Amino acid sequence: MIAFEPTDDQKLMQESVASFAKTLRARSREFERDRAFPDDVRKTAHELGLGMVAVPEALGGAGLGLTTAALLEEEVAYGDPSAGFAFGGPGAFGTAVSELGNESQGKAWLAPFAGADGWSRFGAVAWGERRASAARAGMTTTATHRMGTWELTGEKAYVVNADRASNFVVFAQTQESAGWRGLGAFLVKKGTPGLRVLDRETTLGLDAVSFGGIKLDGVEVDESDRLAGGDDFNAALVRFFAKHALIVAARGVGLARAAFDVTREYCETRRAFGKPIGHFQAVAFTLADRSMDVDAARALVWRAAHSWDAKLAENHALLHTSHAIAFALEAAMRCGDDAVQLHGGAGFMRDYVVEKLMRDAKQLQLCAMTSAHADQLAASIELGRAIDPGEVLPSAESQSAFV
Amino acid sequence: MIDFTLTSRQQQVKEAIHGLALSVIRPECLKWDREHGIPPEFLRTLATLAGNMGSLAMMDRDGERASAAKSEAEGAPKKKSQVNLTSIIAAEEMAWGDGGLLLCLPGPGLGGPPVRGSGTPEQKARFMGIFRDMTAGGELKWGAYALTEPGAGSDVAGIRTSCRKDGAHWVLNGRKCYITNGARASWNCVFATIDPTLGRAGHRAFVVEKGTPGFSIGRIEDKMGLRASETAELVFEDCRVPEENLLGGEERYVTKEGFMTAMKTFDNTRPLVAAMAIGIGRAAYEYARDFVKSNYALARHTARYSAIAERLARVGRQLDAARMVTWRAGWMADEEIPNAKEASTSKALAGQAAIRACIESIEICGAEGTIARDHQLLEKWFRDIKVYDIFEGTGQIQRVVISKRLFADLKSF
Repeated sequence: MIAFEPTDDQKLMQESVASFAKTLRARSREFERDRAFPDDVRKTAHELGLGMVAVPEALGGAGLGLTTAALLEEEVAYGDPSAGFAFGGPGAFGTAVSELGNESQGKAWLAPFAGADGWSRFGAVAWGERRASAARAGMTTTATHRMGTWELTGEKAYVVNADRASNFVVFAQTQESAGWRGLGAFLVKKGTPGLRVLDRETTLGLDAVSFGGIKLDGVEVDESDRLAGGDDFNAALVRFFAKHALIVAARGVGLARAAFDVTREYCETRRAFGKPIGHFQAVAFTLADRSMDVDAARALVWRAAHSWDAKLAENHALLHTSHAIAFALEAAMRCGDDAVQLHGGAGFMRDYVVEKLMRDAKQLQLCAMTSAHADQLAASIELGRAIDPGEVLPSAESQSAFV
Repeated sequence: MIDFTLTSRQQQVKEAIHGLALSVIRPECLKWDREHGIPPEFLRTLATLAGNMGSLAMMDRDGERASAAKSEAEGAPKKKSQVNLTSIIAAEEMAWGDGGLLLCLPGPGLGGPPVRGSGTPEQKARFMGIFRDMTAGGELKWGAYALTEPGAGSDVAGIRTSCRKDGAHWVLNGRKCYITNGARASWNCVFATIDPTLGRAGHRAFVVEKGTPGFSIGRIEDKMGLRASETAELVFEDCRVPEENLLGGEERYVTKEGFMTAMKTFDNTRPLVAAMAIGIGRAAYEYARDFVKSNYALARHTARYSAIAERLARVGRQLDAARMVTWRAGWMADEEIPNAKEASTSKALAGQAAIRACIESIEICGAEGTIARDHQLLEKWFRDIKVYDIFEGTGQIQRVVISKRLFADLKSF
């Protein structure tokens, strides 16, 4: 039966995460300056269980499903949009291992994140590359099979938490002639000979998150550490991106709501021409539009998350998810943009949080999946075309995204 | 819990109406559009069908309420009837078939909510009772809601139709316009004022029956779209309405209730209108999608494919976003949570998304899309949809409603 109300358990979790997130907002300039979250904050996040909400119980997670994860991710991002990425925990790595790996790989590689020292661990996904190959479709990083061992060579970019991660999922071309349908995924530990972590980049927004890359020079990976993706690697690959991007979309909802709330309050107190600026139609209507954005984005994210939890047919879940991703990421950007706009000159100053939220929104739009890729995914499903990873996933050939 | 699963009844209603829309409504709707009306025999068949199906939800919200109340009285655990959500789901499906038909359906229409919400028990029995036998073969009847005037639309407080007490009657003078089913209605719920300077406090609502002395029908409008639906002008010249037709009785108007009667109607109907808009928008979207599928999505890659695919997807997700907020507004109504802001949100988003869907769909189909001979439905939806961002409060008015909920002390602009 259609209902828009979290369960009592979910509400309790939301409340405790919301009060934690409040402390994040107060310190967000500190995290931005330090370009990281301090240990005490990360320990608290770990105690709240924030890193493993949707990871299946069999793999050491809480197994609470994507709906609960989306609810909590929104609250965390409301405090600070960087937090969800920078707290530590398995993150995108966890989603990749659960979707692409088998159960024993999942257990072995995700269990350490559940331990008491889990807060100090990061995982990362090395997907992106800086340049596309002019000669053929697919990745320039290659994986060559030699007697039970894979040899990985190439350079990966746009890797979230590259310099913090102890474990990576690395994507590479296994069949050169198969283009984007010829990829493989490999589990690699930090410190493996031939693996070098590249310098961290400075970015427009989400400063407390680390964005970087890795270089692989003949890194050897055992066959047992290849993530086969079950029966259908490409389907599992798209599922990984969709679920991960849905979490990012939930963060987008939190960011959008934060920008909206701060701005609404400002427009109620800031006066001009003898009344609060919010009492002018041009200002009020802009806020009304952003309020609709927040509500619609949240409803789409909930429905998409529920589609996975309720085990709808994969194409339906993917369609709902792509709608949520594309809408929420764009809504977050509009909310960030209008937040600065309605603050006027003050919004441009770093005294107010809104300029940070606007920069964060743009950075967030380029994480996991872009709106354009989500739209391509929706169109493939609706037009009955086979889902082509080269068309629906971010890449150097179309538009890159941080994963 | 958070859930998006339709109940089995909602699924049934949706499928039944979809089947009807596909096999009966779509093939006929162009004719209705040309001939400015739907044959009574068709409406009769539909009413009988609704009776057989145990009410089509859309047509018999009272029946649904009554059966919920009955099972409760019989000691069954209180079951949530989700009457608003079910109507929303039904409305989208019906409008997917034809928007005009939905407005032509017999029943109290928009006149229902104020009579139900503000009428005395005696008035409710008298005015709602006339619809009871329709599904059992009785005469088809309509109710209507008359608020808008030539000089006052969105600014409801500015209505000028006057009323004054004269013995056991009220005497009404003025004009109402753009009234859906106003001419054929057995009764109109008419808003008038005892004194325009009193603003909302001066408002009175009457049930004016067909044949009341001094009440006549003015012009029937010629419209851009929804041409199967009747839109009438009502004229009141010393129209004498019996005092027992003052909605709610005189004591009700000691407070500001009069105006609230007019406004309360919209919290429940805006999501319903939003759902209708989504139904039409979805029809256009699916049409364009199928056109792209069979014309542009060829075995070989065409350069324009991705651009068109993304455009289509954007339309699809905007409709989907509107649908989700509409469901939420309906769910809140069912849960009896105040939903004025959410109702306006659904209406504003759905109106916009559906208009975009109709405009983009024609454009996606290209020159081909405007050729009436082959693509008459597309052309019709384009004409039909525009008014959905206008009636029941324009998109701008919805933003006024939302703004007032964002700023507590905002009285007006």
